[in-house]
Amino acid sequence: MTLFRLEAYKTFSRWRTYISFGVLALIVLMTEIVMRVSAREIIGSMMKAFQRDFIIAGNIVNAWFITAFIMNSLHFHIPFLITLVAGDMVSGEATAGTVRFLLIRPPSRQRILNAKYLTALFYTAGLVIFFAVLCVVLGLPLFGSGDLIMHRLGQFSVVFIPEAEIPFRMLLAFAAAIWSMTVVASLAFLFSTMAENSIGPIIGTMAVVICFLIFGNLPLAFFRHLKPFFFTTHMLLWQGFFDSSIRWLEIGQSALILGMHNAGLFLIASIVYRRKDIKS
Amino acid sequence: MEAVLKTFGLGKRFGMRWAARGIDLEVHRGDIFCFLGPNGAGKSTTIRMILTLLKPTAGTIQLFGKDLHKNRCSVLSRVCGIVEKSDFYLFLSAYKNLEILGSMTRRIKRDEVMEALERVGLIARAWDKVRTFSHGMKQRLGIAQALLTRPELIILDEPTTGLDPQGMKDVRELIQRLARDEGITIFLSSHLLSEIEQVATRMAVIHRGEMKAQGSVAELLASEAIDYAIQVSPIEAALRVMQGIPWAQVLSCGESMIEVRLEPGHASELNKLLIANGIEVASLYPRRTLEDFFLRVTKGVAEI
Repeated sequence: MTLFRLEAYKTFSRWRTYISFGVLALIVLMTEIVMRVSAREIIGSMMKAFQRDFIIAGNIVNAWFITAFIMNSLHFHIPFLITLVAGDMVSGEATAGTVRFLLIRPPSRQRILNAKYLTALFYTAGLVIFFAVLCVVLGLPLFGSGDLIMHRLGQFSVVFIPEAEIPFRMLLAFAAAIWSMTVVASLAFLFSTMAENSIGPIIGTMAVVICFLIFGNLPLAFFRHLKPFFFTTHMLLWQGFFDSSIRWLEIGQSALILGMHNAGLFLIASIVYRRKDIKS
Repeated sequence: MEAVLKTFGLGKRFGMRWAARGIDLEVHRGDIFCFLGPNGAGKSTTIRMILTLLKPTAGTIQLFGKDLHKNRCSVLSRVCGIVEKSDFYLFLSAYKNLEILGSMTRRIKRDEVMEALERVGLIARAWDKVRTFSHGMKQRLGIAQALLTRPELIILDEPTTGLDPQGMKDVRELIQRLARDEGITIFLSSHLLSEIEQVATRMAVIHRGEMKAQGSVAELLASEAIDYAIQVSPIEAALRVMQGIPWAQVLSCGESMIEVRLEPGHASELNKLLIANGIEVASLYPRRTLEDFFLRVTKGVAEI
């Protein structure tokens, strides 16, 4: 616990850590302002297909809708922000030279690595929670509350979730979002154990995320067979909480696959770092 | 004499190249033990193995009589080290750096951090960020963090590298004070012979990854023939006396100075002999230095 406290202190003492929070705040703020100004136009284009057949009334563009809308971009910008810190967690010590002080202390490399990994997860969770709180806290006064009506992307269907159910579903969705983002953190952390500076882990992680997103969408039989095992396939598991009825089994399976990725990546990181010679 | 650090056949191979091989060190309690070698000789590699930064390819390490590999946590809590230059978290203050690094060994109180800073003369800069420190100040802060954990053995890898003359002197004095006043065993590597002559009680020489010599500085220097410069008058008579002595070899002769190589322990005997033969001896002093010794054991190819 002491090691975790020390790692967290170091991480949150650096201004670089807060870049991500600042960027997220800017994204949320800008999106909400733009939505406030041109909500009707956006809704019009999103619901175009339905407006011939349905009359949609009430406060559709409410805080929950905006939050879900912004969450859809989660797998693009948040992974990058996570890698800024998780990718630097171990390699940053090599860059700074502090690794030579750190690893000659009594705690084993594994214990130090555990503390660093926990800090990376803590930061990831903090970032997603900050994102959630900001969306809701800014959204409620700007757009008010209401039922959540969402158009499923790529499908001719509308999902309706009553207002009373939304806070609970939002909570679960953000918990799932944290879980999916921890895989990105684990990946960046693994690369961080292999590198001597943070540039490699940041670029490497983003390259892997982009590659797997592309592979998962290629219409080739080979990738279609592998797609169920790609972490990118399951990163949007949080969307399952915004279906008419929650498909627990599918969400559970996705969570399990992501968990296995986390465990596997951390195991490899541990093996790599415990065997690593510190030459820097 | 209790051995604080012992290595047995320690070796490290990078690819096909052995950076260090067959290193058998023995550091006794209270020693200021200097590990001497030219750049690239394998000093840092050996130190990194002792401090667990590198995994040895061969051999074992004992600290305080215990196997390092099997008792890592307990033995490393009694050791502290600085490998090459002292690097800290630049975005944190000197105080916070010491608190963080010290807390990894044991619970650290504020007063202990301040005391360590005071001992290295950095108390006035306790709350300044380390990024504003000079190289010398960082080295002293490095020693402060070593002291904070109350170690029995401090391992320093070229602690004066990059320091100005005053900084080098400060660090040397600090090392001597720690050994003399606090009984801390010091193991330090260096390629600076003058530094070793000034502080070392025992030393080992490493060259091209292999140990060349080990022992007390006085023993090593006294173990073989030593060159002396003798100022005498008349010089011809002195030469005649010396030519008949089996343990003296005249190396060169000037107007009033003779350079002679003597077997160990014969300097005073030669002095008496010259005086007994009516020769005036103005001075007789050894020209044998650590540098000669070092160049001899490294076969004169060392670049120091």
